[in-house]
Amino acid sequence: MSEHGSSIALVDVNNFYVSAERAFDPSLEDRPLVVLSNNDGCVITRSPEAKALGITMGTPWFRIAGQASGWGLQVRSSNYELYGDLSARVMELLGRHTGNLEIYSIDEAFLTLSGPLDAQRRTGTEIRATVRRNVGLPVCVGIAPTKTLAKLANRWAKGNPEFDGVCHWGLVPEANRRSLLRRLAASDVWGVGTKNAQRLAAMGIDSAWDLAAADPVAIRKRFSVVLMRTVLELQGTPCIAGRESTGNEQVLYSRSFGTPVATRAAMHQALSVYAQGAASRLARKHLQGRVLTAFAATSPFSAGRTSSPTICVPLPAHTADPLELLRAADTLLPLIEEGVPYIRAGVIVTDLRPAGTQDTLLPADGPAFKDTGPLLQDVGRRFGRSAIGLGHAGLRSGSDWTMKRDMLSPHYTTKWSELPVVKAR
Amino acid sequence: MDASGAPGMALGRPVGAAEDGSLMPSGYASPAQDWFEDRIDLNRHLIRDITSTYIVRVSGHAMDGAGISDGDELIVDRALRPRDGSVVIAVLDGELVLRRIRIASSGVALVAASADHPPIPVPDPGPW
Repeated sequence: MSEHGSSIALVDVNNFYVSAERAFDPSLEDRPLVVLSNNDGCVITRSPEAKALGITMGTPWFRIAGQASGWGLQVRSSNYELYGDLSARVMELLGRHTGNLEIYSIDEAFLTLSGPLDAQRRTGTEIRATVRRNVGLPVCVGIAPTKTLAKLANRWAKGNPEFDGVCHWGLVPEANRRSLLRRLAASDVWGVGTKNAQRLAAMGIDSAWDLAAADPVAIRKRFSVVLMRTVLELQGTPCIAGRESTGNEQVLYSRSFGTPVATRAAMHQALSVYAQGAASRLARKHLQGRVLTAFAATSPFSAGRTSSPTICVPLPAHTADPLELLRAADTLLPLIEEGVPYIRAGVIVTDLRPAGTQDTLLPADGPAFKDTGPLLQDVGRRFGRSAIGLGHAGLRSGSDWTMKRDMLSPHYTTKWSELPVVKAR
Repeated sequence: MDASGAPGMALGRPVGAAEDGSLMPSGYASPAQDWFEDRIDLNRHLIRDITSTYIVRVSGHAMDGAGISDGDELIVDRALRPRDGSVVIAVLDGELVLRRIRIASSGVALVAASADHPPIPVPDPGPW
């Protein structure tokens, strides 16, 4: 491997929701803490102490609620307002370290780094220190020639303290890389999944090392072009391009402008096209999203003023409605500086779920209403338009009351009445 | 904070005002148009880097002597490095504590700006 070259860094926040809660409430440090999904349904983030208690991802809250106080377990509802703001701060900082930032989800992003390998690692170390200092969140950095290997390197950076949070694949001795790949199950490689892994195991491919040694053409024939790309990426050939990536973690609509956009009015136009694009992609995949990120960026090579604003906002409910998405995306506009030439912008929708999923109010085989229309109108007239609707539609607009969040921490950074309190006593 | 939504402003352009100060529909250009800059934006003057800036609320009187009172809001820049005499927010026993930091060869201490509050020695100082 050459000493120079373009690499990809994957930066992600360690146990993001847990770390965000701890940043403003240090009493949670070193204690078992879990954050629950929408409607306080199940565990979606665990602190290391909570993992040590044996609590698994996705555990329904009602199943462990009785034991929580005995364990000393701290519990929080999802504070999307807080997580969204901290995420936007992290992404803006990352954008200062690269000309090519690909926001992958609320807490992870791919960055393109160039130059000598040890300088790339120094950049990784600097990123880690800056995010810790500025935002107050711990991140790990994995750097490698491909996204799939960057994911692996990131995982090792997390699991092995000797990396100190930053692992550069190209600087790990060959023998160590081999043993790391041999210890990792093929199913744990980015984009493989358990179903593929079972079929791979039948072919004698168990570890990441086995998969990296597989014949890409044979894999394409027996599986798919997607899995072939994974094999090539493990071998060091980049072939997962921006934004298309794997799976359903996000829907992204982004573009570079032909001519730079330098006004808020024009940026609103661009965002409305992107919001509609994202909405139709969601509809095509039968998905709805809960969190929207919008960003814009000037050229990193520009001699003039540079700017890379990002916002990340929770949507009122899971939605694929273009108007809801645009309303959320437009909160980027106040951060757009008039007269500054932006060369690209985009909209990302995350926290996706299938569109059919509803928190139904009535059993599906419940009583069939006749005269539903007049009933809806009557109730709407008496109690307001958002009081009733068909299925989820009537509940979509309006405030957060559709979502149960009984253990919510304050909106420390987005509500003036909920600022963090510092003690002068 | 965002001036673009203020009356009489449309994306930062004035629409002109009548002599009595009431707003007029835009019809002719204001003579001040060419000299219009932007209204003073406190964010620009008070915040060095938005990624590291948080606003916190003070509870208690230990910093009264430094002009920081109970109920005040403070703009905090996490990226600044504390020096001897800086007002800091420190993590102490799981709480965010406001004090002045004293860095000497004998050690680090958090000092109140009020006689009622004794200095707190810090054996292992770490930032918020």
